[in-house]
Amino acid sequence: MKKIAHNSFLFDATRCIDCRACMVACSVENQIPMNKTRIWVAGVGLKGEYPSLVRASMVYHCMHCNEPDCLSACPVGAYSKRLDGPVVYDPKKCIGCRYCMNACPFGVPHFDWDKGLIEGAFIDKCSLCTQRIDIGLEPACVATCPTEALMFGERADLLKYAHDRLAAQPARYINHVYGETENGGTSYLILSHVPFKELGLPELPSRPVKEVSEEVMGLTIPFALGWGAVLTGLAAGVHLYNQKKNANAQKLETSEAPTEETK
Amino acid sequence: MPSTISRRDFLKVGGAAIGAVALGKFIPPLVAEAARTNGMLDATNSGYIPSMCEMCVWRCGLLAKVEEGRVVKLEGNPDHPHSNGKLCPRGQSGLMNTYDPDRVLTPLIRVGKRGEGLFRKASWEEALDLVAQNMLDIKQKYGPEAMIFSSTHNLSQVQFENLLNAFGSPNYGTQRSLCFNAMIVANLTTYGMEEPERKYDDLNYIILTGRNLMEAISTSETSALSQAIDRGAKVVTLDPRFTKTAAKSSEWLAIRPGTDLAFHLALINVMITEGLYNRQYVNSHTSGFDRLAGAIAHYTPEWAASITEIPADTIQRIAREFSGAAPYALAHNGWRTSNFVNSFQTERAIAILNALAGNWGVALFPASGEESGVLGAPPQPPYPRVSAQRLDGVPWKYPLVPLKIGVFQELREAAISGTPYQAHGWFIARQNPAMSLPDRGRTLEAFGKMDFIATIDILMNDTSWFSDVVLPEASYLERYDPLNIVGDKAFLRQPVIEPQGEGKSALWIYKELGTRLGLSDFFQYADEEDYLKQQLAPLGVSLDQVRQKGYVELPGEGPDFSEPTWNTPSSKIELYSTMLEQGGFAAVPQWEEPPAPQPNQFYLLTGKVAQSTQFGTQNNQLLHKYSDEPRLWMNVKTAKSLGLVDNDMVEATSTAGKIHIKLEATQAIRPDCVYLTPGYGHLSKGLTTAYGIGASDSDLHVTYTDPISGGQALSQTFVTVKKI
Amino acid sequence: MKVQISVHPRFHLKPLVVILLALMGIAFITAMVRYANGIGTISDLSNSYPWGFWISFDLFTGVAISSGAFLMAAVVYIFELKEFRPLVRPSVLTGFLGYMLVVIALLVDLGHPERIWYMMIHWNHTSVLLEIGICVMSYLAVLVIEFAPVVFEGLKLQKFAHFIHRFIMPFVILGVVLSTLHQSSLGSLLLIQSAKLHPLWWTPILPILFFVSAITIGLSMIIFESTLSARYFHRGLEIHLLEKLAKAIPIVLVTYLVIKFSQLTIAGDLKYLFTSGLMSVLFWAEILIGAVTPIVLFSTKRVRQSANGLLFGAVILLLGMILNRFNVSWFAVQHPDPLSYMPAFMSNVHYFPSLPEALVSIGIFSAGILAFGLAVKYLPVFEHEKEGHGATS
Ligand SMILES: Nc1nc2c(c(=O)[nH]1)N[C@H]1C(S)=C(S)[C@@H](COP(=O)(O)OP(=O)(O)OC[C@H]3O[C@@H](n4cnc5c(=O)[nH]c(N)nc54)[C@H](O)[C@@H]3O)O[C@H]1N2
Ligand SMILES: Nc1nc2c(c(=O)[nH]1)N[C@H]1C(S)=C(S)[C@@H](COP(=O)(O)OP(=O)(O)OC[C@H]3O[C@@H](n4cnc5c(=O)[nH]c(N)nc54)[C@H](O)[C@@H]3O)O[C@H]1N2
Ligand code: SF4
Ligand code: SF4
Ligand code: SF4
Ligand code: SF4
Ligand code: SF4
Ligand SMILES: [Mo]
Repeated sequence: MKKIAHNSFLFDATRCIDCRACMVACSVENQIPMNKTRIWVAGVGLKGEYPSLVRASMVYHCMHCNEPDCLSACPVGAYSKRLDGPVVYDPKKCIGCRYCMNACPFGVPHFDWDKGLIEGAFIDKCSLCTQRIDIGLEPACVATCPTEALMFGERADLLKYAHDRLAAQPARYINHVYGETENGGTSYLILSHVPFKELGLPELPSRPVKEVSEEVMGLTIPFALGWGAVLTGLAAGVHLYNQKKNANAQKLETSEAPTEETK
Repeated sequence: MPSTISRRDFLKVGGAAIGAVALGKFIPPLVAEAARTNGMLDATNSGYIPSMCEMCVWRCGLLAKVEEGRVVKLEGNPDHPHSNGKLCPRGQSGLMNTYDPDRVLTPLIRVGKRGEGLFRKASWEEALDLVAQNMLDIKQKYGPEAMIFSSTHNLSQVQFENLLNAFGSPNYGTQRSLCFNAMIVANLTTYGMEEPERKYDDLNYIILTGRNLMEAISTSETSALSQAIDRGAKVVTLDPRFTKTAAKSSEWLAIRPGTDLAFHLALINVMITEGLYNRQYVNSHTSGFDRLAGAIAHYTPEWAASITEIPADTIQRIAREFSGAAPYALAHNGWRTSNFVNSFQTERAIAILNALAGNWGVALFPASGEESGVLGAPPQPPYPRVSAQRLDGVPWKYPLVPLKIGVFQELREAAISGTPYQAHGWFIARQNPAMSLPDRGRTLEAFGKMDFIATIDILMNDTSWFSDVVLPEASYLERYDPLNIVGDKAFLRQPVIEPQGEGKSALWIYKELGTRLGLSDFFQYADEEDYLKQQLAPLGVSLDQVRQKGYVELPGEGPDFSEPTWNTPSSKIELYSTMLEQGGFAAVPQWEEPPAPQPNQFYLLTGKVAQSTQFGTQNNQLLHKYSDEPRLWMNVKTAKSLGLVDNDMVEATSTAGKIHIKLEATQAIRPDCVYLTPGYGHLSKGLTTAYGIGASDSDLHVTYTDPISGGQALSQTFVTVKKI
Repeated sequence: MKVQISVHPRFHLKPLVVILLALMGIAFITAMVRYANGIGTISDLSNSYPWGFWISFDLFTGVAISSGAFLMAAVVYIFELKEFRPLVRPSVLTGFLGYMLVVIALLVDLGHPERIWYMMIHWNHTSVLLEIGICVMSYLAVLVIEFAPVVFEGLKLQKFAHFIHRFIMPFVILGVVLSTLHQSSLGSLLLIQSAKLHPLWWTPILPILFFVSAITIGLSMIIFESTLSARYFHRGLEIHLLEKLAKAIPIVLVTYLVIKFSQLTIAGDLKYLFTSGLMSVLFWAEILIGAVTPIVLFSTKRVRQSANGLLFGAVILLLGMILNRFNVSWFAVQHPDPLSYMPAFMSNVHYFPSLPEALVSIGIFSAGILAFGLAVKYLPVFEHEKEGHGATS
């Protein structure tokens, strides 16, 4: 069993026939309830006008970001990023705030809207089939893909393969590997014949969306301490100033009325 | 999120499914025990067992992951050439076919009126006795020919045929005339074989005539095509719809339905007039070239252009590209070629095109015979002589149609009309004629003529719903079937879990029924394992060995691809078919104008989707989950001109019937066509997931039979559409 | 010192109490349904809209309108502007109730309310939500301390009141720090949605904008609740104090506008001002209603000096700024494109709060009003003048 340092997918939209075998496989492998899914079809579907038509859809699931925003956002640290790629979720910590869903620029985490307190409402998302990759199997979705639209392996290898394809068949593809840099790079790499937007993928800079938020968060403690000090100083200053002023006033006018601040 | 009806449904069925899954836990440990001894399962009854998919007839190899006696996942078997480690969506969903909460798990005997859906549970003893009694009664009163037997291709079909032959009925109905008669008979008349095998490894040019390989999936062939495209092979797809195959093709030609023959005739014309065909191959392997050349001289691209609505220069270019790429070029012969009464000649033209390209040994190969002589079989006495005519007109009306293929829709017609004689009983296995035959109203009418109907199925399908007795077969993950030869191996279907309820294998059912019919001599096997052992006997391998690997390699060098034998009267590829000549048909393909819709009518197209198989998987919750809602496709512009928009409820009417269905206004179809996914609009309320979804195109299909191949013409139904 | 109950609230008006109780009851039952069957069964929230009305209204609006408490505490204690003392207790009470309601709403909104305390033990230091959670919980404790003297006085436990009052300064400072943090962090909460929040709103300085606008909201809330309670509890109106507050508002608002438009200019996002359809309309609505109009109003002496004028100005500002909070947390958040999704249950990309969803918020709000009424009735909330001290005075 070859150890993969950075487990990744490569999805080639030009090869995907939208058969959804990957989805059924995921649902079975991970025992996903019938009204939930970790993996779905996105994209405009059909574009153009009869008879000049193009199909544009992709298989969507967690991107396993190199810099996961879900992880950054979760207050209780229910997410973790494994060194070999997978971003995994731990239901035991989750408080169900759904901030991760807001944070994820890909709309990946899903919530158990239909579960009450007793059953327990949790987040679900693609786990990169850690139970499989840990024993040397490909993720369920990849393993069954009849057209090899989904491939799996070492991120660097897949990137190279993707770029080789772009170079070999330039007319076939948009000249970009989505996920190479987007949001700081993802473990789900995508090749496409249509603009990535039409596959339902957001346009993202290479700077992960979480960065500004994390920088601001980094300022919190210093700011709190500084602001506390300023306020204390201010309060003390004002108080001293007022005392002096009052004393002066008292000197001037021989105590007319008791001030309030005598206690 | 508002809780919609469908959502609640999901939950409901979801809950029920868990119950069914739990059921699997109580299975007696027989299967597991055997698998443990073979080292496939560990002490906790967990592991992988090789077997075969039966979610469609492609029968990919699978590895069933079993945990504590429950199947929890199916993987494609890398050792099987049909799967190569992959399974399509239907194959992946297979365990839900077994764990479907709607499974019929005990024999059922009807108590209400037919179609009312009231049954009572019965023991196998009682149910089999009842079936046998009725069959014997009918035999006694009206002769064995008054019993219709029908079944769709499956691995135990040899024993089904054994049963009907031993019983003495000539009336055998298969799905084939609804499916591929045109292609099979065309190949038989041209090459003397049913269907050659295709290889894509070296192909550079592929013409797909309505073969929707990316949706009507055959895992290995779908992969192969995908790989070829990836390699840069050009693919030209002819389909009135922009299918997912069209989307992957280099070129999509939205040909006018029913005119593929004209297109291919023009290709032949260009190849011959421009001298682009493989002269050497034609000279040495074919017969009748001159007569062909003479007959197609006037089928010019210009002529075809006006018929097909494909520009002449496009046709000419494709002819040149195709012959330029030959022999690394393939004109695919399609599969479900039951489109028009001229589909047979289309198929002939395709067979001829391949011969002209000389692509045998590159693209086409003789198929490995399913009934190979290398396997053993239980001994049996000769069958009784059958004197009665077949109801379906084979061969007296359809001389060229092989007996085992038949003309199912004509069989049904005869059951209604009572000519040449009246049928009284219908024994059906693994088939759903209430949905698959055209003109559902007439199929139900035929049921009404029957004194007795018995069905073997795993579900309460629509045909079972109208049956008197329903016999539950164990699902494909729960049973043995006879060995299946693919290439140079014989593959095994074996149970990976114990049958739920009282499901039994077809091998067992046929034997038990045969015995009750007094035909035990024809079923000389003790049980399924004994049957397999007799099959394996000549190979000298034990069943245990085969169970472990899932297959056995067959002796011999494998099929010899170098020089196929042409099993035709001339022992050559017959460009001019003497068989057709003898039958009084056009011996070289000639243009026949098929009927076309009136200006206010549309061609009604049918066609598979990747997430269901025919009429039997719509109840599979996993497939249902990932299926699109079946709606009636109509071109956006046409819809607009009719004042229709997406999701309007419309009524579609043909001379056979009418349906109500939601409209899907789409760019992906010719303006003169509408399309509906088959397999919905179920009648059986015993299919709780599928019931109530969509409508059935079988309600609309008009019965037309191609006089040569006996194929039904499913695209030859014309409908009007209006808003309701 | 003798306590003189000078307040004769008309609050015992039975029908109002009954209605409030009924609304609370409905909210309670709705919440029980949610606890039994899941959030999806009573709300229109979906995977595309994980946050909705509850967050925009109960959290974002709730926290913002509670900002009067820290402002008044700061004004009176830190800046020792003693004249504002009468406004402190009601503000702290409003703040306390406001935050209580936020927490109650969160207990409905959280998937695992029983785990809310996990925020105290599992710390993910990059999470803005964690900061807000901790600040809100801590600040609630501070507010309890700040409000405790009032309660002790009500219970005639002057000694305790004195005791607390002696140590009040550190808590006031802590309260201001915590408030500054989480008022601004509510803005930071949206920083991670840079790809989803419309550029007219998303900016790294969201926290600053949130803080500045929270000041205007707090001031307006004080004006709002003072004028209203004067009306309903027959108290005298400290109009001269309110006028001073009102005078400060335009200054803060102008600062706000300067920051906002400089930011848009620097970010190069001015192009969206008129070209983003509904988004442009929403933006201008919040700017015009929440900032420009109040600037004009509160700069007018006649408005500042009339109770009705003050109330009107405050209401306008609040509406505009609440719209801002709704915009930022909901209306301007663009969730993944509604392209074709499969399976169909994935594609609920439209959100409109369901009736039960609104009922929960209404019920919680009713509880706030009722609690305010009861507090005013039984506790010396407006007693400062007579009382020499107290939490808040
Ligand atoms: N997923 C899935 N796969 C399957 C099956 C299934 O049910 N589901 N069934 C299996 C079986 S039994 C079969 S027979 C095969 C069938 O495999 P195919 O024959 O490839 O599939 P169909 O979808 O029946 O028909 C193909 C296309 O014919 C087009 N068509 C209709 N009329 C005409 C015409 O006049 N000219 C042309 N050029 N095209 C026309 C339709 O639009 C449709 O797209 O699939 C097999 N594989
Ligand atoms: N409108 C329309 N009609 C068509 C077609 C079309 O595309 N459109 N296609 C045509 C074609 S290509 C074909 S091949 C035919 C197919 O026509 P049929 O063979 O009549 O239809 P199927 O749905 O394949 O029937 C299979 C039945 O087997 C049952 N079954 C599944 N597994 C098992 C098992 O293990 N044991 C037993 N005993 N039963 C099992 C299923 O529940 C189902 O009822 O239909 C033809 N008719
Ligand atoms: S795609 Fe979303 S859920 Fe997945 S790792 Fe990235 S941020 Fe997290
Ligand atoms: S919903 Fe759970 S996983 Fe997501 S951010 Fe909240 S606590 Fe973390
Ligand atoms: S990697 Fe596993 S969990 Fe993720 S989508 Fe694929 S099958 Fe599902
Ligand atoms: S299995 Fe492969 S081809 Fe099929 S939908 Fe998934 S990625 Fe696409
Ligand atoms: S093609 Fe799909 S359904 Fe058919 S046998 Fe293979 S895996 Fe099963
Ligand atoms: Mo078929």
